[in-house]
Amino acid sequence: MGEDRDEVRELVVRAKVACRARSGDGEAFGALYRRYQSGIYTFIRSQVREAELAADLTQDTFVRAWESLPRLRKEGAFRGWLYRIAANLVRDEVKSGRARLEVTESTLAGEDGSRLPEPAGKEGVPEEMLASEEMKEEVRRALDSLPAEQRAAVVMHHMEGMGMSEIAEAMGVRPGTVMSRLARAREALRKELSRYVEGSDDEV
Amino acid sequence: MTKCDFIRDRLAEYAVGGLRGRVRARVEAHTRTCSECRAELRALERTGELLDATAPQEAPAETWEGIQERIALHPRGERRRETRGRPKLGWRPKLGWRPRWAWVMATAAVVLVLMVAVLLGPLGLGEPRLVVALEADEEMQATMEGHLSAVWAAPLSDMAALGLQMASVEENG
Repeated sequence: MGEDRDEVRELVVRAKVACRARSGDGEAFGALYRRYQSGIYTFIRSQVREAELAADLTQDTFVRAWESLPRLRKEGAFRGWLYRIAANLVRDEVKSGRARLEVTESTLAGEDGSRLPEPAGKEGVPEEMLASEEMKEEVRRALDSLPAEQRAAVVMHHMEGMGMSEIAEAMGVRPGTVMSRLARAREALRKELSRYVEGSDDEV
Repeated sequence: MTKCDFIRDRLAEYAVGGLRGRVRARVEAHTRTCSECRAELRALERTGELLDATAPQEAPAETWEGIQERIALHPRGERRRETRGRPKLGWRPKLGWRPRWAWVMATAAVVLVLMVAVLLGPLGLGEPRLVVALEADEEMQATMEGHLSAVWAAPLSDMAALGLQMASVEENG
């Protein structure tokens, strides 16, 4: 999932104008919400246990973003900035003891029918493979087994399409650390999902 | 450590784009000739493709409604009332959450109280009538609130203005 930076920048500029005017006009901000809500919610949900808490923190993330919009100088960096807000809120929540950085329930789509993973599309992943409910469940379980910081990196990189630097900025770590977390996560997931990713197709 | 072991230890990093230079070239050269390492690399890449194809989960529909309500009712910088059933995280009495202006106002209020205490004399017993006026007179309170930011910015000059204001209250009272 890529992002159109020019479009995002324009939306952020419009939202800033509405915010400064204190008009409560949420049209541009609503567009930003629609664009990023699933990624933010999935990221938060991957870090805290309860779905209701994740929804509350998602709401708080966007309200905080609205309040802080006038101080955002680089409109094109909105996504990383937004994830940083979410990460800080999660950190505060964990520090307060109201949330734990471990999950046992599923953090991804499909379980409650809210949204199914997009089938096909990706080269090398057969449609019938992604359409398998059993496989989706396996992916969810495998992701849940990762340490929280690896899970966060996986969600941001693979589901939101964020680059290493952007993730690093959002998480307050170095890009090399993000790379390392992604590599360790990839290794662990490859083992967990071996029955789906091993095969005769070894052409490179 | 065999050559394959060396390569295997670095395949995941290679798969996520983390290798550069000679090590990267070495991995690429080895996987061209070693079918087992190539198969392992392919499995790692397919794992990434699997994750790429996994969609994030939508936030509950009411999330945006709550945001709209909080934004529309309470423009930025102001405290908002509860909009959900459980206590909102934003309204916790938590020091770190207070905006900068709240600290400025709180500090200014402390300065103001100290100034009033000084003007009223030791123990504040000199002119109880003035304290009553400060608490009861809404117009006076509004004036005092107007003074807060000025007190913060230039306490000395505002002190003079405050003294004049208090003198006025005494005359009128």
